[in-house]
Amino acid sequence: MPDVLPPVKVRRGLVGFMYRYPTIAFGGALLLAMLLIAVLAPYLGTVDPTALAPAKRTRSPSAEYWFGTDMFGRDIYSRVLYGTRISLMVGLSVAVLASMAGLIVGLVSGFVRWADGIIMRIMDGMMSIPPILLAITLMALTRASVSNVITAITIAEFPRVARLVRSVVLSLREQPYVDAAVAAGTRTPMIIMRHILPNTLAPMTVQATYICASAIIVEAILSFIGAGTPPTNPSWGNIMADGRALWQVKPFIVFFPALFLSLTVLAVNLLGDGLRDMLDPRMAKRL
Amino acid sequence: MVATIPVMAIVALFVFSLLYIAPGDPAAVIAGEQASPEDVEKIRRNLGLDRPFVTRFGEWSWQILHGDLGTSMFTGLPVTTLIAQRLEPTLSLMMVTLILSVTIAVPMGVIAAWKAGTWIDRGLMAFAVFGFSVPVFVVGYVLAYIFALELDWLPVQGYTPLARGFGPWIENLILPSVALGCVYIALIARITRASMLEVLQQDYIRTARSKGMGQRGILFVHALKNAAVPIVTVIGIGIALLIGGAVVTESVFAIPGLGRLTVDAILRRDYPVIQGVVLLFSFVYVLVNLAVDLLYTVLDPRIRY
Repeated sequence: MPDVLPPVKVRRGLVGFMYRYPTIAFGGALLLAMLLIAVLAPYLGTVDPTALAPAKRTRSPSAEYWFGTDMFGRDIYSRVLYGTRISLMVGLSVAVLASMAGLIVGLVSGFVRWADGIIMRIMDGMMSIPPILLAITLMALTRASVSNVITAITIAEFPRVARLVRSVVLSLREQPYVDAAVAAGTRTPMIIMRHILPNTLAPMTVQATYICASAIIVEAILSFIGAGTPPTNPSWGNIMADGRALWQVKPFIVFFPALFLSLTVLAVNLLGDGLRDMLDPRMAKRL
Repeated sequence: MVATIPVMAIVALFVFSLLYIAPGDPAAVIAGEQASPEDVEKIRRNLGLDRPFVTRFGEWSWQILHGDLGTSMFTGLPVTTLIAQRLEPTLSLMMVTLILSVTIAVPMGVIAAWKAGTWIDRGLMAFAVFGFSVPVFVVGYVLAYIFALELDWLPVQGYTPLARGFGPWIENLILPSVALGCVYIALIARITRASMLEVLQQDYIRTARSKGMGQRGILFVHALKNAAVPIVTVIGIGIALLIGGAVVTESVFAIPGLGRLTVDAILRRDYPVIQGVVLLFSFVYVLVNLAVDLLYTVLDPRIRY
């Protein structure tokens, strides 16, 4: 029966990848653009984001000031572009640190049975404090600084990773091939390296992207209410906090950082959804 | 159910340690600027601040169990009084948001699952991704700009107590609730869709259909009921989003609730107030999720404790 079945057209390379995973392609491209903006901020026609110009306060967007100026005459375009650095730094650092911390705690909890109960009760306790509230409280204890923001959000987020890793470990321990490895006398570190880690990698990557998105939002919220990045650093939350008093008359001060913030979080979320579909095709059908 | 007690104890211990390690000496704050070191020492002994950690935690827990959350360092008022003053706006905001979100999100998820793969489904789920991505204060400002400043349909900000009538009360709450509900709606709609998709493939759905049952009956009677457990779970977990979001929403819309109390307390480093609010919110969150656990047995009689 020739010509009955049309030939399956397999696209390869970058185009094929974009065709199969449009969300990853779009989210990734958007995130890459934000990364480039963050790295190249000084070369994109920006001026010193902290330079005050009292004579040029609250100018509307124009050819000279693309996004206008704030109440101290600072150029919002420059501030928003430099703000990308802080948001991405916080997002990526928290994603990496929370994954590492969660991985270690989850592995200990999954393998050291007597510690499991205690560790998981502590994690439950931490998870019953809403993450934003926990991060705000931790910030109230310390000075406002970017590294403290990263630490606070990491502490608020990592119990979720620990839970995830623990559940993967517990289900893997029941697998016949892990039993076989134990029976063959494989040492625990080797089992973790060979069997456990490769299997936790996929769900952890997906979780990490969501944590990254959440961390970017929490950083903006913390800075917005005045408990995050110090006001001297241009971060999106800070710019919006500055524009808050004037937003009814000068909405552009709040608008531009809000736009960048939303686009970045959207990019990370799309990437996360795409990665989830790619790494776990079973989930793709369900969600 | 018994498991909530250790969790609450750990939350309490955590929150207490927070105050314990907090910088700044409460005794010095209370004594004032002109106090001599001896005076400060005396106050510290009177307050029992010189005793060991475990003793103080024990006494503090005892106070908490008797409904005493301590005294605000800034206003000198009991924390319970401060919380009681600010409770109504926050409670109103959260209740309205909860009702609004569930009534929008559940039908949204059901329709998306029913029309799975079509443009309706894609559109609804695209909206859900946006809901996740746009932070609550951004939605708040955009809504306030459009509906309050440009169209002048609703008040820009503020809060009217329910005692002054339902109309003014709800008018002030619509915009904050929609803003706060966005993430929540996205979350519930996604889980509803996922859960419904799974249920719609079951044999009993096919049976119901072959009996000639209408589409609406299948979706909302047979399917939704069996898909309810994950949906109710995520509604419970999502309360954390509402609590965190309320802190921000109240700042954007100038609502004098617990969120504003928290933000003010943090800016003034008023630790007893922070402690009290965090403890209260966590307690509510744990209780809501306990209620959800109990609701499982009603929704799915196969689940027993």
